[in-house]
Amino acid sequence: MTVKTLLLAGGTLLVSASAASASGFQVSLGGQKNIGMGNVGVGLSLDQAAMFYNPGALAMVRENGVQVGVNAALARSSFRSADGGPQRTLQNEVVTPFNFYASFGPKDAKYKFGVAVYTPYGSKLKYADDWEGRFALTEINLQSVYVQPTFSYALTPQLSVGAGLMILAYGSVNLQKDIPLPTGPAHITLDGTTKTQFGYNAGIYFKPSDKLSVGVSYRSKIDATVESGDVSFTGLAGGASAATVNRGFTATQFSATLPLPAVASVGVGINPSEKLTIGLDASLTFWSAYQSLDFKFSGNNGNAGAATDANTGLVGGSNVSNSKRQYQDALTFRLGGQYKIDDKLTVRAGAAYDFSAVRDGFVGPETPDSDRAIGTLGATYQITDSFGVDASFLFEGFKERSQSQQDLVSNGTTDRVAGTYKTNIYIPGIGLHYKF
Amino acid sequence: MKLIFKSSAAALSLMGLALTSCQPDIDDPKSSAGQASFTTYIAVGNSLTAGYSDNGLYLEGQQNSYPSILAKQFAQVGGGAFVQPLFDGPNQSNGAGYLKITGFVNGSPTIVPETSSLAVVPGSLDVVGTPPVPRTNLLAKSTVNNQNLGVPGIRVADVQTAGYGLNNPLGFNNYFERLLGTANAASSYQQYVQERVTTLKPTFFTNWLGNNDVLGYASSGGTAAPLTPVAEFTTKYSAITDILTAGGAKGLLATIPNVVNVPYFTTVPTAGIIAQVRSGVVPATTVAGLTAALGLTPTQAASIRFGLFITTTGTPAVREATAADLLLLPSSSVINTPSTTANPLPRGLGIVITGLSTAQTTGLSAAAPPNPLANSLVLDAAEITSVQTRTTELNNVITNIANQKGLALFDSNTFFNGVATNGLAVNAVNNTAAFVTGNLFSLDGVHPTPRGYAVVANEMIKAINAKYGAAVPGVDATQYRGVKFPQ
Repeated sequence: MTVKTLLLAGGTLLVSASAASASGFQVSLGGQKNIGMGNVGVGLSLDQAAMFYNPGALAMVRENGVQVGVNAALARSSFRSADGGPQRTLQNEVVTPFNFYASFGPKDAKYKFGVAVYTPYGSKLKYADDWEGRFALTEINLQSVYVQPTFSYALTPQLSVGAGLMILAYGSVNLQKDIPLPTGPAHITLDGTTKTQFGYNAGIYFKPSDKLSVGVSYRSKIDATVESGDVSFTGLAGGASAATVNRGFTATQFSATLPLPAVASVGVGINPSEKLTIGLDASLTFWSAYQSLDFKFSGNNGNAGAATDANTGLVGGSNVSNSKRQYQDALTFRLGGQYKIDDKLTVRAGAAYDFSAVRDGFVGPETPDSDRAIGTLGATYQITDSFGVDASFLFEGFKERSQSQQDLVSNGTTDRVAGTYKTNIYIPGIGLHYKF
Repeated sequence: MKLIFKSSAAALSLMGLALTSCQPDIDDPKSSAGQASFTTYIAVGNSLTAGYSDNGLYLEGQQNSYPSILAKQFAQVGGGAFVQPLFDGPNQSNGAGYLKITGFVNGSPTIVPETSSLAVVPGSLDVVGTPPVPRTNLLAKSTVNNQNLGVPGIRVADVQTAGYGLNNPLGFNNYFERLLGTANAASSYQQYVQERVTTLKPTFFTNWLGNNDVLGYASSGGTAAPLTPVAEFTTKYSAITDILTAGGAKGLLATIPNVVNVPYFTTVPTAGIIAQVRSGVVPATTVAGLTAALGLTPTQAASIRFGLFITTTGTPAVREATAADLLLLPSSSVINTPSTTANPLPRGLGIVITGLSTAQTTGLSAAAPPNPLANSLVLDAAEITSVQTRTTELNNVITNIANQKGLALFDSNTFFNGVATNGLAVNAVNNTAAFVTGNLFSLDGVHPTPRGYAVVANEMIKAINAKYGAAVPGVDATQYRGVKFPQ
């Protein structure tokens, strides 16, 4: 398989992920083995997924290989309005974050190169019909696929470095909400794909002894920019009110930028025995890059009669929409281990704690974020020496999170709803790996 | 390998099945009645309680009255049925009639009365006698076991008036008349409340009387019903509340909103209208004529301008308006329209010249008297002060009684002041106190829309929950409409 066909494969994958496994809408599902052990990996050189966790460790991975993993993220979110009333639930959808890695390099060479395809950010949520927050959000689907050609070099037998070119090969956004009109609710859909953008993922890996390894890595920020997404309306006013009401809804296109923030990580790996590996990671995601979500609208669908500058690009009478986010940098701590029972079977377990990127009073339905406690289990069954199956299961429990209307008013965030959110996410995953 | 793959797939799908029952539960707020019992609820009040909206009482308004909304929420914590005197007879759903928007001219709504499917008794609108006297129309009777005692127009001052709803040529409250049977046709409102309490034995009540004790005065520009004296209000309000609590019922009292915050008083922008009038150019012939007639100096002549004039109860009776006066909603269709009298000036306009001598002033009054707006179209600064002072006094009475009796209190005055100042965002929808576009006030500029009533119900629920340790769920106010636009 050549790098070129891999790239093509990555570009055509239909990948989405729920807001699973890391703060904000970050998706930390890099590799099935790592997922099984609490998603640690920065200080380890387990397999080709090192390209995601720490490109510096790739040169220390003994064999070349190809591996693929897929996860089924089943989010179960509930919301109860601050006014009371029925508990609202998300329409349950399964999303399937995906990862793919292949590495190459002559045996016993000091370098390795490879390619990684993964989905670092994404979110897919669909709220129940008629829920309290329908004028804030009814549906969101954010997708991103990074393709990352990677090179790693062992400077000494103990120290290796690596870097990858992160390519935002595919990104898409679909946002939908209802619009309150005096003629009844209308609906707006914003739908667009992102420009191709570039960033980097770099890391250093140091293994002073058989018992200890450490690593640091940094993935840079990529701005996901939609330049001319589509704006469409349904359910606008008819009859005698059409001209008066609909003149404020003329936009056909939008542009917006969503930062996919940088992540800095440090990790430690410990091997007390041949069979046991323990990893400890800490990551800081620079969510403070996400200060506001701003849309600019353009185009004219003729709802206001003959097009003029003043009546072009309007949604609700305005050609911009600004919504405060003011996210904060968020820390994650992870701990996990694997135990090699025999040549065939390895078992894993891990835990993590993830601090919310969203401040109190800023929680919105598109990211009902909260501090999360995470527990994982995993196993690998080696069918032959070179071919194996990796299974993982990750559970994420969100801390119940409430905000009152007063919180929203004092933060200027009344474009979202007051109430209590609680989410659990269950992510079974399975992967295949082939070493050569 | 195949085997393992198959069994993992089966495991995955099993997991998926198991997960359908893994929805996280949010326990709070758990619904409960707390120390209150909502088994039998009774609502006492005026038009706001009846569900009056768009300048009329009609079926949709009644169905969205705050007592009706409350009763549905009470039902979730043990409340029973709630019976209202609905206009639900055949072809009577438009009740007393109401205002509706039929279309738009240059973006401004065309507002007209609904005249079909009324519940007006045929023939009762006849003009009788010589000279003819228009009669109060009669509305379709309601004979239900009524729990919504809201009577549009009633003041606390009226509650002990015998025959308040008795059909007689001198006029009567036709909304009250329709609730009464032959046996109690001449009852006072207080007697009616007593009869209902005796019959229903309510366990919970709301009492939102008092608005008309200031509103009647304010909405007539100080010309109609006087402000109810504090002592009289205290006596009669206490009497009604005593009847409601006599059987041990718990309940809620509500204060009187600052009526001058509502669109009826705020939609016509006084300062803007004054500026517009002043910027009007006085015709050269008028300037020349006045200069000659009054012997004006060039400086005086140069100062000639139009001004907006109003009639007040103060001295002088006619004066130029200031930004501190409130022009009432109906004045918008009067100001600067052609005169209906011998006065050639358009309605509301007058001539102003600065630096006149007493003789010249007299001369101006004779030569070009202003054509002032009627007193009933303006709530002048002095009247505003009287309304607000009295509102505060009456609210103190209500608050004291609530405290003495340990009742919940909805401070609608504070709440609607907040709405007027900051608007009210509900579930990501912005609402304001603006006319037509604000969602909360109906086309009469005084009474709420269904959205407005839903918001009121939620606020009352908050007060009830706080007072009685209850957890009555609120409603999603965005499910209730604002001003209805034609489709």
